[in-house]
Parts: sequence; C-alpha cells; structure tokens
Amino acid sequence: MKLDVSFIWTAFVELLDAIPVTLAITAVSVLCGFLIGTAVALARQFRVPVLSQAGAAYVTFIRGTPMITHLLLIYFGMPMLLDAAAEALGFGFRSASIPMIVFAFLSFSITAGAYASEVVRSGLLAVDRGQLEAAYSIGMTGPQALLRIVLPQAFAASLPNISNMLIGMLHGSSLAFTVSVVEINAKAQIVATTNWKFFEAYLAAALIYWGLTIGIERLSALAEKRFKAYSRGGVS
Amino acid sequence: MIALSGIKKSFGKNEVLSGIDLKVNRGEVVAILGPSGSGKTTLLRCINYLEKPDSGVISIGDFKLNCRQHGKKDVHALRQKSAMVFQQYNLFRHKTALENVMEGLVVVRKVSKAEARERSIALLEKVGLGAKLNAYPSELSGGQQQRVGIARALALNPEVILFDEPTSALDPELVGEVLSVIRQIAEEGITMIIVTHEMGFAQEVANHVVFMDGGVIVEEGEPKQLFRYPKEERTQQFLKRITPEAGYSI
Repeated sequence: MKLDVSFIWTAFVELLDAIPVTLAITAVSVLCGFLIGTAVALARQFRVPVLSQAGAAYVTFIRGTPMITHLLLIYFGMPMLLDAAAEALGFGFRSASIPMIVFAFLSFSITAGAYASEVVRSGLLAVDRGQLEAAYSIGMTGPQALLRIVLPQAFAASLPNISNMLIGMLHGSSLAFTVSVVEINAKAQIVATTNWKFFEAYLAAALIYWGLTIGIERLSALAEKRFKAYSRGGVS
Repeated sequence: MIALSGIKKSFGKNEVLSGIDLKVNRGEVVAILGPSGSGKTTLLRCINYLEKPDSGVISIGDFKLNCRQHGKKDVHALRQKSAMVFQQYNLFRHKTALENVMEGLVVVRKVSKAEARERSIALLEKVGLGAKLNAYPSELSGGQQQRVGIARALALNPEVILFDEPTSALDPELVGEVLSVIRQIAEEGITMIIVTHEMGFAQEVANHVVFMDGGVIVEEGEPKQLFRYPKEERTQQFLKRITPEAGYSI
C-alpha cells in the first residue's frame, strides 16, 4: 500500500463541507452548557435548597459517565419518551421527524453543562468577597451585584478554562457520527470508505480539527487580552 | 440623625456585640476606637447590613429597621442611606476609577450616564485624581485606590459615610493623602463614622469619640476629654499602650 498524497487534498476539500455542522454542534453545546452550568454553579455556590443538591447530583452523574453514553441514552430514550407523551396527549407528533442533529445538540449541551458548572464555579471562587460587599454597600441588589460585578470578573477569570472546554467539545462533537450526523469525522469516514483510502481521509480530518483548534486558541488569546485588560494577571 | 439601639451580634457562641446604643447627629464625625476584637468593625458593618445583627434597631434619617423583623426591601432601603469605605478598598477590579464612581449613580440611583459622568469626574478631581479617570484599580497605588473608594462613597450622597479602618492597609507614606481627603470632607459637614487606629487623626477630626471593648461601648465623649481625662480604667490602659510616653529607644 502506498500513501496517496494528492488524495489527502481531495479529502480535505470534501471535508470542508462538514465544518459548519461540527461548529454548530460545538457552539450550541458550549453556549447551552454555559447557561446550564452558570445556573448550577450559582445554585451550589449560594446553597439554594433543593437546586444545589439536584445540581450536585447532575454534575456527578454526567461527569461520571462518558459523553457517548449521554448521546446514546438521549438518542434511544428521548423518542420513547416523546412518542409516549404525544400519544397520551393525542398529538400527531412522531419522534422520527426530529432531525438527528437535535439529539447531538441536546445531549452534548447536557454534557457540557456539567463541566461548565465547574468552570463557572472556579471563576466565582476567584472573585474576592469584598467585591460583592462593595456592590451591596453602594446599594445594589443581589442580581445587580451578580450581573454587573461578580459574573464579569468570574468570566474573565475562567477564560483559559472556557477555551479548554471549547476545544474539548469541538473534538467531542465527532461522536455525533454514531447517530448519523454528518460532521467532519463522519464525512471523513464516508470519503474513506467510498475511495478505500482511510489513512488519507482521517489525516485530512486531523488537519481540519487542528486548524479549527488553532483558531479557538487565537480567539481566546484575543478575548483574554480584551476582558482581562484590568488585571496585571496572576503571579507575574 | 443616626440611632442604634440594642445592637447584638454573635458569631456562633462568640458574642461580638452585646447591646450597643449609639447616637450620631447630622454633620458629626464620630471616631470609634478600641483594641482588635472589640467589635468596632462588626458594628460598622451592621449599620450597612453587611453583617446582620441578631437584634436591635437601626435608624438612619427617617428610616427605621428592626433587625428581628424585616424584608429584603428594607435591607436594600437601609443600604441606600449609607456608603462604606473599606479597609481593602474593594474597588470594582474590572472597572476604571471613573466607572467605579459612576456605577452606583447609574445603576442604583438611575442618574443619566452623562450626568453621572460629570458628577463623578468632579468628585475624582476633588480627591486629587483628575488625571487617573481611566486607570484600573490595579494601576493605582493603595492611597489612590482608597481615594477612589472615598469618591465612590461620596457620589451617592448618603446620609452617612462609614469608614472601616481606611488607612490600615496603606504604606505609612500614603496614609497622609487619604487622611487629608477625609479631613476635607469632614469639614464639609458630611456625617461620618470612622473606625480607626490613627489616634492623632481621631483627636483632630472627630467631634465625638467612642471607645469600645469586649462588644460594649466603654466610654464616649468629646475627643479632648476622652483622650486627656479618660474616666474608665480600660480606656486609660488602652490609650497608655498606644500612645507610649517618650523616653525609650529601639
């Protein structure tokens, strides 16, 4: 067997089509994950009864099971649940009409939420208690203090972790190929099997993932510069 | 006028304030002195409800709050009456000096941005920081940060400004610039309660001095009288220890 260098390029070009799908899965899951994660982190940080225990259970279960398991549980469990509910309520809805990518969005958001809650929590811990007291002392309400003073600083403090998570979810999104979503990895498999050139196709996929990752690294460096302008930063 | 009556506060089994009564008249500058652990900072923080007293009544101006029964709105209303200057400055780290001063005006007092900006610039100029409007706290010295903190408190035009050991975290050479700003605003007739270890300053600026120990007010009175002729033995001991007679060398 010989390496077909020119086919790497052919595969590369074909894989470009799948980039939007991968990016959509990554963006949706990280964004929704952060909404879930922020809610969970706040509930745990401020020890909200019931919600904080529920949040802790959610985090330990999700972090205690693989991402692909979440995807499969949602993929097989959700349709059963929805169809049963639709039947009971007399709607004409069939779960088969749900696009595959929705399962990926949903399950990866749940996965990301658990990890994001710890990212947000570490950010909250980085904010000095005096900041909250100062906000109260000038007459702010709790939500005002949180939104205007605490969360922006927590966000800035967790930027390195956020970029870590973005990269993790970008690579994790490749698992969506198991439920027939054609993202970069699935596309590589298709290109590989139709041309019987596996190594070349996966090499092209690797290059694309790497390129996207470099993009995220650049963006996060810019964001750090922008949002951490106020800080001399760390121990240096 | 500010009146505290029967303020009690415990942390666990440790009673920090055992029934404090204090009256402060409008325009008065009150200095609270006392050894560490005497409860003076806790008392100050109770007035702003950064600590919740176990019992007692706090009234500022025409607003009265019973610490045993009140809602969140009452606490919010009480906090609007006062402003705090912290020992560790506690400037909002992600905001510039100007934004720090504007924040309360815009968000809490709902003043328009343009007007808040104008008033904040005037206040920062007053505390001598007209050239540092756009500096972040991390770019300012301790003394400069504390002066921004004072401007932030002044901006709200509160009934009373509470100073919690405003110079304790400062290098000795920066203490003077902060004290002179406090002296200047004291002369303008703003009501202030200052917890401090600067005895000379307390004697010079305060109209009224309160000496606390063990969670109670041991003695209070005019500065001259209290510093020169303290009645209580505990006050005498304290003053002797912190203003030692000259005549020894290190």
